[in-house]
Order: sequence, then structure tokens, then C-alpha cells
Amino acid sequence: MIRIENLRKTYRAADGREVEALADIELEIGAGEVFGIIGRSGAGKSTLIRTLNLLERPSAGRVLIDGEDITTLDSEGLYALRRRVGMIFQHFNLLGAKTVADNIDWPLKATGHTNAAERAERVKELLALVGLSEQGHKYPSQLSGGQKQRVGIARALANRPQILLCDEATSALDPETTQSILRLLLDINRQLGLTIVLITHEMQVIRTICDRVAVIDGGRIVESGRVADVFLHPRHPVTRSMVAQSDALAAASFDPAHAYMKDKLRGTLVRLTYIGDVTYQPILSRIMAGAKVQITILQGEVSSIKDVPFGQLLLELEGSEDDIREVFAELDRHQIHHEVLQ
Amino acid sequence: MDLSVIDWSDIWIATWETLVMTGVSLLFTILLGLPLGILLFVTARRQLLEQGFVYTVLSFVVNVLRSVPFLILLIVMIPVTVILIGTSLGVEGAIPPLVVGTAPFFARLVENVLREVDRGVIEACQAMGIRTHRIIFGALLPEALPGLIAAVTVTAITLMSYAAMSGVIGGGGLGDLAIRFGYQRFQTEVMVITVALLVVLVQIIQYSGDRLVLYFTRK
Repeated sequence: MIRIENLRKTYRAADGREVEALADIELEIGAGEVFGIIGRSGAGKSTLIRTLNLLERPSAGRVLIDGEDITTLDSEGLYALRRRVGMIFQHFNLLGAKTVADNIDWPLKATGHTNAAERAERVKELLALVGLSEQGHKYPSQLSGGQKQRVGIARALANRPQILLCDEATSALDPETTQSILRLLLDINRQLGLTIVLITHEMQVIRTICDRVAVIDGGRIVESGRVADVFLHPRHPVTRSMVAQSDALAAASFDPAHAYMKDKLRGTLVRLTYIGDVTYQPILSRIMAGAKVQITILQGEVSSIKDVPFGQLLLELEGSEDDIREVFAELDRHQIHHEVLQ
Repeated sequence: MDLSVIDWSDIWIATWETLVMTGVSLLFTILLGLPLGILLFVTARRQLLEQGFVYTVLSFVVNVLRSVPFLILLIVMIPVTVILIGTSLGVEGAIPPLVVGTAPFFARLVENVLREVDRGVIEACQAMGIRTHRIIFGALLPEALPGLIAAVTVTAITLMSYAAMSGVIGGGGLGDLAIRFGYQRFQTEVMVITVALLVVLVQIIQYSGDRLVLYFTRK
């Protein structure tokens, strides 16, 4: 669906120096996928998502959508492309002088849909889709942040795009509203088969709705893959530090040298990670039942990333080397990934 | 002060003339200044239709016209006005210099008002695949409407005081009355009344403008 090849973007700064905003970007995003790009501010994620509808023109490289290189489109082609690619924004960017219904109607009216009755029907449909059927007559300033973003979503969907770009769409919202907007996006993704590309600095957003994630830092993609794989086995330092700041995944980036109990550790420190159905099986109790090893749980989480259940536990094992090896063999049999930290 | 020396019919005619001069000049000022202001805005750096050369030229012309003191412009414009409408006197004669004097001013105000429109809103329209001219007329101008009305109000008041000034070169209206009777014939009463009328007119314009701005503000 979307392929980014060898993308590069450089700016000329005020002092004449060339600043590299993006370099060597390679990405492939499948149809119907929810793809997240996460990075700290200034990492280049906003520039990257804006190249997908050419709000930002890349300096080099290709951006293919359905096999077509959009960087070579003429202005007519670009108009047509942008109607197929919806976008929502951190600050909503609604037209303050138009009502909610007129905001949603505007992209239809302005792109040549002349049948007012059909448009009104479509607006009604979209208002219902985002749960704002009663708010059509209001002005954006009368709405809450979450409602404004719902209008933004309805407006972006008006021309029935195949792709929805979300530029920090929940960053201006409180956690509860964020969750409700993410649920809406996920519903839309499933109902309409819409491909969603989002950028965010919040791990929680990626965990909740993304299938795959790319971590961007310094204008380069440093790591990418399935969300569970990237977040449970972070390899790049930037990913590790992001994971470390997320309370929920603290076990993934546990550093024994800085731990509270570092002086009290006697045994072997092991991190177990398991993904999928195994999460809900009584594996630990089976292992403990047979083993002559003392097991202490130091830290851990059992939860899910999008729909994928996972568990991650930090254990201290005390016993003879042979007994511990026995435990590891048992873990391997159950396809539980283990990693000795100390 | 002896108000009995005042010929009230002269006052009312002059008031009417002032209103006509201001109104007609305002109309032409908007007709010329609004497109000019839009053009200034869209051709500026990093805007919808960035055109460095066009912007530089327009901006220069606007600055030149704005640097000429209005009294000088009134005089310089006399031959041009004669060519345009046959006379440089009276109500009609005052209108061309008024328009030339205020249109560039209004254009700058328009440019500034449009710059205040949230960039993100314009960008969102671009992201929807909407053509530039539709963005300008369907989104940019409606979003800027309260600001534009405020700019028209300021311009109308400027025009009214300029219209009074045109009395110096034989334009009509309250300014003309004030100069001929109040100044040249030492009828202080006339001077006082004309100034008082101008004050009232300015208040009315400002008040109406403010009300309209409020009416169209959706924030």
C-alpha cells in the first residue's frame, strides 16, 4: 500500500547550513494496517508523516502509494491523491467560522460534490459514525477537545480515503479522551479497512492500536517491527529508554545495576517474556512444581499489546546451576523466552 | 457661542457629502485593497502561492503610496483626477485621491489579518486536496471575516478624516465647510459643529463595526 524508499529531507537553516531532517528512510506499510511511528520531539516523525501527502516534499527518494510514486505527481494528480489520503492533526485545525456539519461538508463541497442532498446525507452518516449526531449545528469552539478530534476524523473520512494519517492526533487530549479516540480509530480501521499511519511520542498510543511500529531518532528509523517484538525486546538505546519510561513495560528495560534490591540479590536474575496464548497457561506453577529452585518474582506485567497478550516477568532464581539449567530447559519447552541479566 | 449664525441646511448637506465621499471611497478602497491584500498575503514567503518577485514589487508599491503624506497626495493626484472624472473639485473630485490614499493602507491591514488565520487550518485544507482558490475564498476569507470587518472599520474612519482634509483642495463635505466658514470666515461655531458631527460619525462607525465583529466571531 505505502512504500517509502530511500527517503531524505534536508532543510537549509537560517544560517545557511544544511540540516538533515530525514535520512535513509525505508518503510513498507500494508493495506489495512495500523502503523505507528514513535519518536521524541524533533526526531523527524512529523516531517516523515507529512511526506505521505506531500505537505512536505522530500529532497530525495520515492514515496509509493499503491505502486505510484507520488513525488512525481503534477498538481492535478496531487489533488486527487490528497482526496484519497485523509489527515487529522494534533490541534484539530477545524474551521472556526463553520459549524460542525459544515466542517465535515467542506471537503465534499470544495472537491466538486455538487449534490447538496447527497452531501447532507453523507454528513449525517459521518456524524453518526463519530458519535456526534446531536452536535452538527454547533461551532467548534463549543466542543471539547475529544469532540473536536471526532469532527476532525469525520472530516478526514468525508471523501472516503483509503489511508488516514494521524499527526499526533491524541497529544493534546487527556488520557481518557485519548483512549476513546484510539478506540474510534480502531473501529474505523476494522469497519472500513482503512490503513492508518500515526505518529506519536506516547508509547501507550502505539500499544493500544498499532500492529507494527517504527522507532525514529535523529531522522533515521532505528528499529521497526511488530509492536510486541519491538517493545518487549527493545534493541536500540532510544527504544530502551522509551520503554523504560513507560511504567507498564518497566521489566523490559530493567537494569539490575540501578535496582532497589541490587545489594540483596543472591541468585540468578532472569527475564521471561512470553507472547500469545501461552500467557494464560499455568506454566510458572508447572515449572515450580517440579523444580528444586527458589523463585522470587521481582517485577512483572501480564497484559496485552493491541490484541496480543503477553507477559514479562523478572525472576530471581536460587538453586544449583544444574537445577537452574533444568528450569531453563523447561522454559524453552514452553517457548518462553528467557534472558539472564545477572 | 451663537448657534443662530449657523446655516443648518449647509451643515446637513455637508454631512451628507461627507457620508457619500466616505461611503463611495470605502467601496472602491475595498474593491482595490482587498484583492491587493489577498495577493500580498498569498504571494509572501511560505504562503499558498509563494511568488517572491510579485510580493516584492507589490509590497514596494504599497509602501511608496503609504509614505506620501495625504495632503501631498491630494495635490499630486489633481491632474490624474481631472483625467479620470473630469474635475478635481467637489465630492467626486475627492474620491480618487481618497481611494489611492487608503487602498494600500487597507491592503496591508488585510494582509495582516490573513496572516493571523491559523496556518494549520489552511494546511488541513491543502491536505484535503482542495484547490488553492477554493481555500482562499471558502476557508481563508470566512475564517478572517471578523478581522476583515475590523480592518474595514478602521479604514472607514481613516477615510472620513481624509475626506475632511480634502476640503483644503476644494473637496466637499464637512471639512470643506469647516475650512471655508470656520477657518476663513472665523465662524468658530461652524468649526465646533463640524468637528462635533465628525466625532459622532466616527463613534457610530466604530460602534457598528465592533458589533459586526462580535456577531461574526465564533470563538
